Amino acid sequence: MIISHYMTTEHRECDTLFAKAEASAAAKNWEAVEPEFLAFANETLLHFKKEEEELFPTFEAKTGSADGPTKIMRFEHEQVRGLIGKMAEAVEAKDRDAYLSLAESMMILLQQHNMKEEQMLYAMCDRVFPSELKEETLTALRGMSL
Amino acid sequence: MFDQNGLSLDQAPPLSVVFRFMMVGAVFGIVGGIWMGHFGAEALDPATPQGRIMVHLFTLGVMLSFMLGALFQMLPVIAGVVLKMPTQLAAAVQYPFVLGVGALLVGFWTTRPWAFIAAAVLLGGALLPLIGLLLRRLGEVTHHSPSSRGMMAALISLAGVVGIGLSLVGVWGGGWDGAMYLPLRTLHYSFGLYGWIALLIVSISFQVIEMFYVTPPHPQWMRRGFGWGLLGVLLLLGGAEMVWPTGIPWLQTVLSLMLISYGTVTLHRLTQRKRPLTDATVWFWRIGLTSLIASMLLSIVPPGDAYPFLPPLQGVLFGLFGVSILFAMLYKIIPFLTWFHLNSQGYFTAPMMHEIIHPRTARLHLYLHLGSGVLLLVSVGWAPMAHAAGVAIALSFGWILYHTIHATSLYRHTQETGEKIAIG
Repeated sequence: MIISHYMTTEHRECDTLFAKAEASAAAKNWEAVEPEFLAFANETLLHFKKEEEELFPTFEAKTGSADGPTKIMRFEHEQVRGLIGKMAEAVEAKDRDAYLSLAESMMILLQQHNMKEEQMLYAMCDRVFPSELKEETLTALRGMSL
Repeated sequence: MFDQNGLSLDQAPPLSVVFRFMMVGAVFGIVGGIWMGHFGAEALDPATPQGRIMVHLFTLGVMLSFMLGALFQMLPVIAGVVLKMPTQLAAAVQYPFVLGVGALLVGFWTTRPWAFIAAAVLLGGALLPLIGLLLRRLGEVTHHSPSSRGMMAALISLAGVVGIGLSLVGVWGGGWDGAMYLPLRTLHYSFGLYGWIALLIVSISFQVIEMFYVTPPHPQWMRRGFGWGLLGVLLLLGGAEMVWPTGIPWLQTVLSLMLISYGTVTLHRLTQRKRPLTDATVWFWRIGLTSLIASMLLSIVPPGDAYPFLPPLQGVLFGLFGVSILFAMLYKIIPFLTWFHLNSQGYFTAPMMHEIIHPRTARLHLYLHLGSGVLLLVSVGWAPMAHAAGVAIALSFGWILYHTIHATSLYRHTQETGEKIAIG
């Protein structure tokens, strides 16, 4: 379960960063929100990059399907990217209400997305990848940056 | 096979499918509130026609309507079960269902056999084929989550509730004698309250508590075993009703302890959430779970004449549990689904969740709900208060109805006037 463990840990780290920025926005502590939101956005976008450029192509090559779960996951990544953009605008405008409102959509969207990946996709990766390929993939994931 | 297509737009049912059940549920709630406002404490006594009508307005009219809406929405998300032609299916279920509830209430009021026969045909015809379809589709799922397993167990319970309900209606309709009436009635409400309402809430909460509030998951033993475990205890309870009456209090205690442990764990999970903000929905959950725990503690007390107020108090607390959780879910689901559908259709002018229902609005409803809960609890001991409780309940459901209509009109307005980007 090394893929599951690595990717799930990243989800939890994103949740923590997100919650920190949300609490600061609720307190209108905009000086803190900016770096905290940036940390969340960067971490999330890097995680998406790891999936889209490394994990998903490996999964697709192994299962021979590029039209199944990974297609849905990529579509949901686009939705999240759209929301990150809107949240960045809210941070810039120091608009607490808009930020918290977008944060609400973001969290539900992200959580249901994460659940699907954790319960199904990552578990399938761990099941269908031979151990050598798992190690290779993991090394590649660890080496990626934005 | 990847079953969980989740909230992708092509898998989620149209917004109208979910909202139509919510609107009808809210209307039943308003009617129930007015009913209680008019009849007062008589509506709280299930031994009277007023009480029977009140109980079915809330369990059938309100809870089942909202829960059917939740099933249509959650099955694709939780179990990857996509229903074909959901709009037509929802209409085919809802029209006979509403007419059937109406016929049943007329039957309770007039005791006319034709009304009971009409209720049996309409309710049985609406619900049993749907339950069969949903169970068949859930049975085809290869990777079950704790939520989808619990949903299956809850649907089996619902089939039991409807089946036993039809046999009770047969007694009222004059079809057969009432030799087994009392044990069947006990089973009818045990399966309805615990096997259907509580179990469906528990099953859905395994997913949504974590999703909405970013908490650790419920413990593995609870997620794995709760659904079938609770159904098993209910089936044993059914057997005990027929052949082992001395076992009933023991089984009832096991059932109560299961729900108390669920309530306690979930309250604890809410304290562990990563998002520190406490919005109204967290409080709706807290009120609901505390009411569940209190209701289940009272159910362990042996029945007797010394405390005649305990059974109605237990019933009112269980009702508060169901309705509080309902409201907790609605204040997340209504704005999220409205935004999600518009956003997925490419409308970049889609209103944000707080523009659809502002947290202040949810907070005001929380106070109204708390007020109606207190009035209800007081009316168990002081009957005249039941009239005021009824008015508060009607207002509470009126509030939800207004916001569902408001969200629908915002949705339509955005579709008619909003700017859209092409989605591939």
